[in-house]
Amino acid sequence: MNLTTALARLLIFPGLLFAVPAAWFFLWVERKAVALMQGRVGPPFMQPFFDFIKLLGKSTPPRSGVGGLLMRAWPLIAVSAAAGAVGLLPVLPSSGGFEGDLILLLALLELPSMCIIAAGFSSRSIFGEIGSAREAVLSVAYNVVFLLAIVSIAASQHTFRLESLAALPASPMRWLGVLALLVCLPAKLHLNPFSLPNAEQEIYSGPMVEYAGPELAMWELSHGLEWVAATGLVATLAAPYITIWWLAALVFVGLMFAIVLALSTLASATARLAIDTTVRFYWQCTLIFAVLAVSSALFMRLRS
Amino acid sequence: MNILSMLWKNLWGGNRTTLFPARPTVSKGYRGLVQFDPALCSGCAICKFRCTARAIEFKAGKGEFTWSYDPGQCTFCGRCVEGCAEHALKEGHAEHALSQESAPPPIYLHIGELKNAYTVKRKTTVKPAVKPDASPAVGAPAPNAATGGTQ
Amino acid sequence: MNLWNKLMCYSRRHSPWLFHMNSGSCNGCDIELVASLTPRYDAEQLGVRLEGSPRHADILCITGPVTHNAVNAIHTVYDQVLGPKAVVAIGSCPATTNVFIDSRTLDGPLNKHIPVDVFVPGCPPRPDAIIQGVAKAAEILAARGNNPPATEIVIAETPAEVQP
Repeated sequence: MNLTTALARLLIFPGLLFAVPAAWFFLWVERKAVALMQGRVGPPFMQPFFDFIKLLGKSTPPRSGVGGLLMRAWPLIAVSAAAGAVGLLPVLPSSGGFEGDLILLLALLELPSMCIIAAGFSSRSIFGEIGSAREAVLSVAYNVVFLLAIVSIAASQHTFRLESLAALPASPMRWLGVLALLVCLPAKLHLNPFSLPNAEQEIYSGPMVEYAGPELAMWELSHGLEWVAATGLVATLAAPYITIWWLAALVFVGLMFAIVLALSTLASATARLAIDTTVRFYWQCTLIFAVLAVSSALFMRLRS
Repeated sequence: MNILSMLWKNLWGGNRTTLFPARPTVSKGYRGLVQFDPALCSGCAICKFRCTARAIEFKAGKGEFTWSYDPGQCTFCGRCVEGCAEHALKEGHAEHALSQESAPPPIYLHIGELKNAYTVKRKTTVKPAVKPDASPAVGAPAPNAATGGTQ
Repeated sequence: MNLWNKLMCYSRRHSPWLFHMNSGSCNGCDIELVASLTPRYDAEQLGVRLEGSPRHADILCITGPVTHNAVNAIHTVYDQVLGPKAVVAIGSCPATTNVFIDSRTLDGPLNKHIPVDVFVPGCPPRPDAIIQGVAKAAEILAARGNNPPATEIVIAETPAEVQP
């Protein structure tokens, strides 16, 4: 795909212009669904938008030196990475893409977590360090499963191109991989029961403790864009191939909505698990299945 | 799967929230702001003595007194109201000056905004002393010393 | 840009983020404050979020008569809250030290140390009264944000640990 198409996908659809309101919409859906399931009313529809605007209007603490510069840079890197990840999603059929863009999507999806870890350490606050350490441990635990699931899907379908993966009919291996991805999503999106790095009252917001104002707005936005990108990835892999463009887009968004609702149900049904239980869950329970998936995919590929 | 059935019931069963700015009603025994009726107050200052937070101030003057109450200082314990009711009962009155409204106190923006003071004239329940008459009464003996006086 | 100002004012009013601080309270008011997030009173319908860090918050909710140990913490946390901010004194203790008047361990009412915008009386105040106080503080905050006061509020440069 040429430069204009790439820029259009990055900035307009499904990039920034579409992704940012979608991020706010999904943030609202999650908060409202959790509230309704808890018997409350919950925030009004435009709440994430108002939060964003209000944060833009607050002042930031003075930051000095290279550490200060880094602190200002991490949220911007996180937002651009997440927006790029959303831009790579093949929402419409035959929207282009390139060989290996699945790998690029994974790398871009990884960057916000890396930025959170780096931000916690560069804020030189003890609470930031604790939160970043927890995020790092959690990241290693779920990322192994995440990447092994993706690799098993790609190996079984013989392609690393998102568009081809969306177009090909699903094999049983793919459903196993999608299930593994869904298990990793709560940890990636900092939801209960794996919301440990976000422990607000426990470690004073962890890595975000020193952030304020527009920087915090960027962090919230990157969180929302992570929602869109992660659920979009699962929707790409799970959706059937439809040639009518508006129907494809509708099914895509509908699947994302269903995944968001399922994750909200999980978030309101569970409590936060401690770090050792979380890590044990990912290393013991899910790693087995991920290893099985990869080995069977490779085995099938070797045989064919 | 109890939690999932609970979530399902909550989702379709409606929320239990009191929408802002409506407020849930308080029970009848709720202890809110203390209310003062100047017409019924006898100025005994038992409420000031019993107050735990020094929210009630009492200044006695000549023939009148000033009673003031600061809801910001008050802890809404109700001891003043109890003391007033006990004292009124002992004196044989059916009504007493202090009562407590069953409503939460209002928010305010400046210190001392809710404080109010009343200056009440003392009620005259005691008859003033009568001066003895200057005219000599017939047959009224003047008090004598015990020893027999010379006539 | 008048439209942007109006949007900012509206957003500030409809997205009050709280930081709760206890300066020696008996915890009655703290319990009622978190009770205001429960389904019956639901502060989230106003967009209220209880935040973990003072840097994230707009409104500082303080309970408790100010003990000597808490004075430094209050000053530190007040300096850490950024931008247009408001302070709500919850309960009678921060307003007037209530039953602890003349105690040797206290350092006066709260407005001796930081400017307080809304007082919510009660011992403890009902959660709906606290929500009313927070809504009023959000209004004051929105008006103040668009007309910042003449004096600059000093912000602590080095990140200090928040004392419990």
